[in-house]
Amino acid sequence: MISTMIQTSIQHPLFGLLVTLASYQLAMELNRRTRSMLAQPVLIGTLLVVGVLLLLEVDYATYNESAALVWLFLGPATVALAVPLYTHLRRIRDYFWPLLAALLIGGFTTVLLTLGLAWLLGADEALLASLAPKSVTSPIAILLAEDLGGSPALAAVFVMITGVAGAVMAPGLLKLAGIDLPAARGFTLGLNAHAAGTAVALEEGEETAAFAALAMSLTGAVTAILLPLFYSLAG
Amino acid sequence: MLGLLILVVFQLLGTLIAVAGVKLPGPVIGMLLLLMTLLLLRRVPEPLKVTSTQLLKYLPLMLIPPAVGILSQWQVVTSHLLAISVSLIGALLISIPLTAWVLQGLVRRRRVSE
Repeated sequence: MISTMIQTSIQHPLFGLLVTLASYQLAMELNRRTRSMLAQPVLIGTLLVVGVLLLLEVDYATYNESAALVWLFLGPATVALAVPLYTHLRRIRDYFWPLLAALLIGGFTTVLLTLGLAWLLGADEALLASLAPKSVTSPIAILLAEDLGGSPALAAVFVMITGVAGAVMAPGLLKLAGIDLPAARGFTLGLNAHAAGTAVALEEGEETAAFAALAMSLTGAVTAILLPLFYSLAG
Repeated sequence: MLGLLILVVFQLLGTLIAVAGVKLPGPVIGMLLLLMTLLLLRRVPEPLKVTSTQLLKYLPLMLIPPAVGILSQWQVVTSHLLAISVSLIGALLISIPLTAWVLQGLVRRRRVSE
């Protein structure tokens, strides 16, 4: 009886939507209650869905098909990222050259270090392609990883891990480096830890948050252009 | 509705350009095209602003299904755990202070010279 009910639910065309929504809601609640950087809703939500699928022995393809309604608008949402980028770009005028220098130096350093370290420790080409877009906001990272021959799923998870780790590590590292300029703190958080970093920046104040959001948008756009270019040059 | 129509049209344009041989994902080209259009317009049309704000609120939710694909990649993660964790954490250790130091240094130097 119960097993028939479970089977019927799993085979329902909206099963994936239900599990995803319920997991995300629970993850948001957990994030609100613990106020912990580690309880990043997307990461926890993903783990909860994985748990449910393992428990009910549902394979990824079945889940993904019935969750189509969730990711149907991922493409248009990626296009929509142009709107916050445009809004944040207005801030650039004041600090154009310093921001450009920080963006390029910071962006190159983090990508090259990630790839270099992973390569030294035996990562293969597919894994490197999934690691390369890790500083970029997830929707763009997923697309880039796929184009470069990596795994969208791995890229999405690496982005989340980088975000959480960066958000946890940044306050201490920034203190150690003696960084007190809100623009520099915000920009660093957004460039290195995208959404999670922007959440930390939001707690520090409006200026810090604005520069974090700017850095997150800019890193996404610039990496999306440069990464495939360098990959085709190197490959 | 008009906002969503704009987004879908730009995504389609991006995909067409990608198919024509530009080595970038379609939606990313669409985003860049929309950004250029907004820079030329010098404002965000109201329907586009409303739809983008609404749609981006759901972005975290939309990222869960692709991320759950980690299920079928589990072996890659476990067999390369060291490479993955060291490269991700190591890059952050250097790049966080470096980015902040470059930006703060350049901004301060310009202020002094002004």
